[in-house]
Amino acid sequence: MTIQTYNEKLGQGVGFERIRRITGYLVGTMDKWNDAKRAEERDRVKHGLNKDA
Amino acid sequence: MKHIVAIYCIAAFKKTQDVVYNLRKTVFQMIQSIIKRDGRVVLYDQNKIAAAILKAMEVSGEGNAADAARVANDVQRELESKFLSDSPHIELIQDLVEQQLMNHGFNAAAKAYILYRANRTRAREASTSLMKTIDEITNIDARISDMKRDNANIDGNTAMGSMLQIGAAGAKAYNEMYLLRPEHAKAYREGDIHIHDFDFYSLTTTCCQIDILKLFHGGFSTGHGYLREPQSIQSYAALAAIAIQSNQNDQHGGQSIPNFDYAMAEGVAKTYRKAFSRRLRDVIEDYFDLPDEAEAIGAIIAGAEAATGETAKLVSAPSYVEAVVKGLCEHYEMSAEMAHKMVERSAKRSELKTDRDTKQAMEGFVHNLNTMHSRAGAQTPFSSINYGTDTTPEGRMVIRNILLALEAGLGHGETCIFPIHIFKVKEGVNYNETDPNYDLFRLSMRVSAKRLFPNYTFLDSPFNLQYYVPGRPETEVATMGCRTRVMGNVYDPSRQIAYSRGNLSFTSINLPRIAIESKGDEKLFYEKLDAMLELVAQQMLDRFEIQASKHIYNYPFLMGQGVWLDADKLNLQDDLREVLKHGTLSIGFIGLAEALTALYGQHHGQSEELQQKGLEIIGFMRKYCDRRSQELQMNITLLGTPAEGLSGRFIRMDQKRFGKIPGVTDREYYTNSFHVPVWYPISVYDKIRLEAPYHALCNAGHISYVELDGDTAHNVEAFESVVRCMHDFGIGYGSINHPVDRDPICGYVGIIGDVCPRCGRREGEQISQERVDELRRMYPEMPAFQGIT
Repeated sequence: MTIQTYNEKLGQGVGFERIRRITGYLVGTMDKWNDAKRAEERDRVKHGLNKDA
Repeated sequence: MKHIVAIYCIAAFKKTQDVVYNLRKTVFQMIQSIIKRDGRVVLYDQNKIAAAILKAMEVSGEGNAADAARVANDVQRELESKFLSDSPHIELIQDLVEQQLMNHGFNAAAKAYILYRANRTRAREASTSLMKTIDEITNIDARISDMKRDNANIDGNTAMGSMLQIGAAGAKAYNEMYLLRPEHAKAYREGDIHIHDFDFYSLTTTCCQIDILKLFHGGFSTGHGYLREPQSIQSYAALAAIAIQSNQNDQHGGQSIPNFDYAMAEGVAKTYRKAFSRRLRDVIEDYFDLPDEAEAIGAIIAGAEAATGETAKLVSAPSYVEAVVKGLCEHYEMSAEMAHKMVERSAKRSELKTDRDTKQAMEGFVHNLNTMHSRAGAQTPFSSINYGTDTTPEGRMVIRNILLALEAGLGHGETCIFPIHIFKVKEGVNYNETDPNYDLFRLSMRVSAKRLFPNYTFLDSPFNLQYYVPGRPETEVATMGCRTRVMGNVYDPSRQIAYSRGNLSFTSINLPRIAIESKGDEKLFYEKLDAMLELVAQQMLDRFEIQASKHIYNYPFLMGQGVWLDADKLNLQDDLREVLKHGTLSIGFIGLAEALTALYGQHHGQSEELQQKGLEIIGFMRKYCDRRSQELQMNITLLGTPAEGLSGRFIRMDQKRFGKIPGVTDREYYTNSFHVPVWYPISVYDKIRLEAPYHALCNAGHISYVELDGDTAHNVEAFESVVRCMHDFGIGYGSINHPVDRDPICGYVGIIGDVCPRCGRREGEQISQERVDELRRMYPEMPAFQGIT
């Protein structure tokens, strides 16, 4: 384990994890998704609760 | 002198003869060597040509060895006339063989020879392409190589992940070359169909619903050691994970436990029974200040159990309580009132202890399934658990604690990827406010709104309700991972159950392509679809023949431990044909939306008329499956295909063929199964209403997703209204998607746009340790980030 000195900066280059569902399974980060599925996730639109939405 | 001259002349003549002889030799056998494909020059051998010709003759049933020699002679003559002293190329020799076979009238043999040649060429090309694939797996970063991200749960950058991918590539090349009929290989290669898990084609079946109770009773063997029947909730949970892991190594698909609550409840009961005995002893020892009452309490409890046939439970039978009270009164000469108090106190403490143990066991189970390895460490097992309908106090304790474990997340608060949690919704059990497990249904929605699981399966939908028998959990529909559902059983109608069965294989049809090629001609579309269904069914039956010829010893856990239905009735030498018939062969499809657009100009989300057309197409496919099931007395079922690798593969090929057709091939993916396209704006209500009828048709499995924004998802009332909408429209299996993000630095879980709402950093930005410490004071549960700093 590294000992961190006070005032050391954390998080440089560390991205956010974005959990998404893909064909029924959850996937921890989209790094490992194939290109088609990344595109599909990008295109998803939210569904409104209103009947006429 | 004359004499001498004469002798000289004779010698000269002889020499000339030698020269002429040698010259003749050169003229008539000038082909001395040939050039192979790789450029190497090897000695010419006419016998080899004759042998190849004879083989073609034998295959086609015309000609004999003498004929073969004659044809080979003519080939050689041709060669000699064309090549004076050069070495001919092997391809040219083969051209001449074809020509000469036909010249001699051996047309069938010529055809056999041509086929053989084409096959060899394909094999060579496959081998070259295999090497290229392995090269890519070895040298290219998975973040760049799309091929290495084909399955998102395998890390193609690790040693074991790469090994798995190389093995898969080799198996695929072999299977295509040697196991598929040419027409199936062509359809697969060109993207008319997709044969799922093709790397495992000759090896195993897809998945299984493991009846964990049957496995536990009497103990079981993992193949690496024998495990006794578990005796506490901790052991039940630990062995459940091991069972999933063991079975995952015998099959290529996901593993599921259909009766998680019912099974774990038995472990809870065992833990409680032991806890009660121990707590009662403590209470007595404390009260009377006695050193060791193990023997006396043991006898009192054994007596009570023997007298009533009951054991201590979370809610014990009154007769049992009375028997224990009576035993205490007699042995310790105390009043019945006092004895009751002691029993009550012990029960209370035992309940707390059992709940704590159950909580730990469920947390351990979830941690295990997210960290344990299968397939040489390249993957965690694909696992699912179904629960929600056990209304006993023990079952309810299990359901509550597994949900709480899921809600808490892993060590740093990460969302658990495995197992998939499936909550079984049933009127009279948990759906209505007055139902005994309604509180747990509510809890499940609070958890799903945070962690994306559980998903919901609806036992009241007519196609599920028809199998449901109250009090028989095996008749409750359960789901495996991606969406697989196994329930009906044409092969054995007395066993229409979820337990101990699974899918054998599935192959999917590229619906949009059939539609595009039909050019708006509906009749032609159905003709082509029918032919494609035939082709797929035949291909799966071919695969079944391979699967059916296997034996128990090929699947030491799945078959050897009797996990699969009727496997325990098999002898060592029996093949698996009959028991495998409890499983399903499933025909899948992808891109109904694009197929409708190609045929009629719109998809089923856009008009009610197109919805009818969509239902007609899928209904046609289902009818085909039902008809073949009856003919074959096997379970041929229809699947709304999960399409991880497929969505991109089909459309890329179709773009090359047909260009970018608006609404059909103009995106990077085809739409999943019968879904309304993800990009099409539609209300929750309409999406569910339109997709529900397809659930009834797709008896091999189906799922509908609804996408909610984060605010709606976190509103439990709104969330519940969506689940109820699914129930009321007759959805079979549904789940609600919403964004779940996490900042590994400060541990925030929720929706993160560009900026983390907790620590204020952007993606990739750094924050100071000081700020981290400040945040930790505000959020004590914050994880210690251990990453690359």
